[in-house]
Amino acid sequence: MAPPRTSLARRLREVSEHQLMIAAQRDVAGRYGTPPPLPPRGVDRFWQQVFVPVYHRLPWKLRVTVMRAMPGSHRRTWHQPDQGSGPAV
Amino acid sequence: MAERTPPRRIVIIGGGAAGIGAAGAARGTSRDAEITVYTEYEDAAYSPCGIPYVHGGEIPDFERLFLGTKQQYADQGIDIRYQTAVQAIDARGRNVRVGNGPPVPYDALVVATGWDYGRPDVPGADLAGIYYMKNIREAMRWDEVLDGVRSAVVLEAQPLGMEMVTALCHRGIETHLVDPSPWALSMATDPDIVAPVQESWLEMGARLHFNTTLRAILGDGSGRVRGVATTDGEIACDLVVVCSHKVPRTDLGAAAGLAVGSAGGFVVDETMATSVPGIWAAGDCAEIPHGVSNVPIQGLSGSHAYAQGKVAGVNAAGGRRAYQPVYVPWAMVAGKWMIGGVSFSETLATALGISFITGQAQGISRARYFPDVKPVKVKLLAEPDGLRLIGAQMVGGEGIKERADFLAMAVRKGITLRDLATMENVYSPPIGALNEPIAMAAQDALARLGS
Repeated sequence: MAPPRTSLARRLREVSEHQLMIAAQRDVAGRYGTPPPLPPRGVDRFWQQVFVPVYHRLPWKLRVTVMRAMPGSHRRTWHQPDQGSGPAV
Repeated sequence: MAERTPPRRIVIIGGGAAGIGAAGAARGTSRDAEITVYTEYEDAAYSPCGIPYVHGGEIPDFERLFLGTKQQYADQGIDIRYQTAVQAIDARGRNVRVGNGPPVPYDALVVATGWDYGRPDVPGADLAGIYYMKNIREAMRWDEVLDGVRSAVVLEAQPLGMEMVTALCHRGIETHLVDPSPWALSMATDPDIVAPVQESWLEMGARLHFNTTLRAILGDGSGRVRGVATTDGEIACDLVVVCSHKVPRTDLGAAAGLAVGSAGGFVVDETMATSVPGIWAAGDCAEIPHGVSNVPIQGLSGSHAYAQGKVAGVNAAGGRRAYQPVYVPWAMVAGKWMIGGVSFSETLATALGISFITGQAQGISRARYFPDVKPVKVKLLAEPDGLRLIGAQMVGGEGIKERADFLAMAVRKGITLRDLATMENVYSPPIGALNEPIAMAAQDALARLGS
């Protein structure tokens, strides 16, 4: 059986999450004075120098809209647990 | 005379935590259902999470990892077919194909096919001496191999990798950790939290190669591993332990038309129902929304898989139960420390561009004068407006798991830093200090805000 092809949405999510994490590791390493990730090389430079800054400049609502438009379980029915109010007894 | 309803036929694919959870819950829901579990392995219902601790010598034997005997499941009317792989699912015909026999019909199907390691895409990945720690029978064989291993390379500081580094050091094996990230478990932790763990590995004799990428696995003339080539040079070793990320096993279900989401797992709703009627999915092959971000995630813990399996089993048997979005408390022993957390780290929040404030505290686990008192460091993350908790990180000598569980519920219920700063806590010299480190961290955050 041939393995399923990785969907474009999954591949896009994998790569963008990875690149956002590398940029975040650099920021956080700077805060704590620990070794940062290695500088980007090759195509990673595009992601770090173009994609990451553009992502962070987008309004949060737009980012959330894009994330929620991705295919996945979050688009099906999930109720938040009931929040009780008032005294329990 | 009234006709008897034929028993409901429930087929479960997978004998791990999710599959066995589904089988037990289905039996609890329907006493007369015909429940059949197919597993490709020789065993079902054991704790793979315990394997590193047998390798490390903390657990004396593998037998203790089994949750129940084969006879116990048979006595419950759960028919487990060992070493039997399901080859195809016919969702329209409601049957599965197993071996050369006739199709096996089902009324409800639970897919719990789990995960595999991401295989290293480098030359030499097919050499002998590469250990993918998962199956207990293979682990028993590898445990004998470890007796003759002088030097091992662990690939990637994911949770299993962190446990294996610790276990191999306990075993007296020269252990190298190779990871492309700048610190261990970088997807879940911050460098200040994991630093004590890394320092303790060095004290235990491990050699850490962060920011280092695997280039090839090197073989000798007989096709056995003799070392690895990395961006940091060659490392000689007798054994490579692959602990890369979990890849959901979705081939079988995807071929039957089950939708797969952006995290790579089957798309499910709160009843664990997939996109195909009559089929549920649970465990590491499914993806679940995160309770804070609402982004679906995959690759959770055995306790998540078991709980999801129970939900799927109840619903497959005709009952009604719902699962919840997850907040992912986690904790482990790594090196000489316990480390844990819940939901967002600073690194993950920074990556997603989520605004947050932090508070930190270095506390203690017992009264300061009580023997074996241990340090407990807590870092809390909260959203800056309402001060609701969105994550936590901890490292310490004890009491990390319980705090992670508590903080996961705190995130789930929308608890704020003000709530935590004024929380009550148990004070009892052998088990709890006067000042609770969680409350101290929340007070620190409020002090930084000037409130």
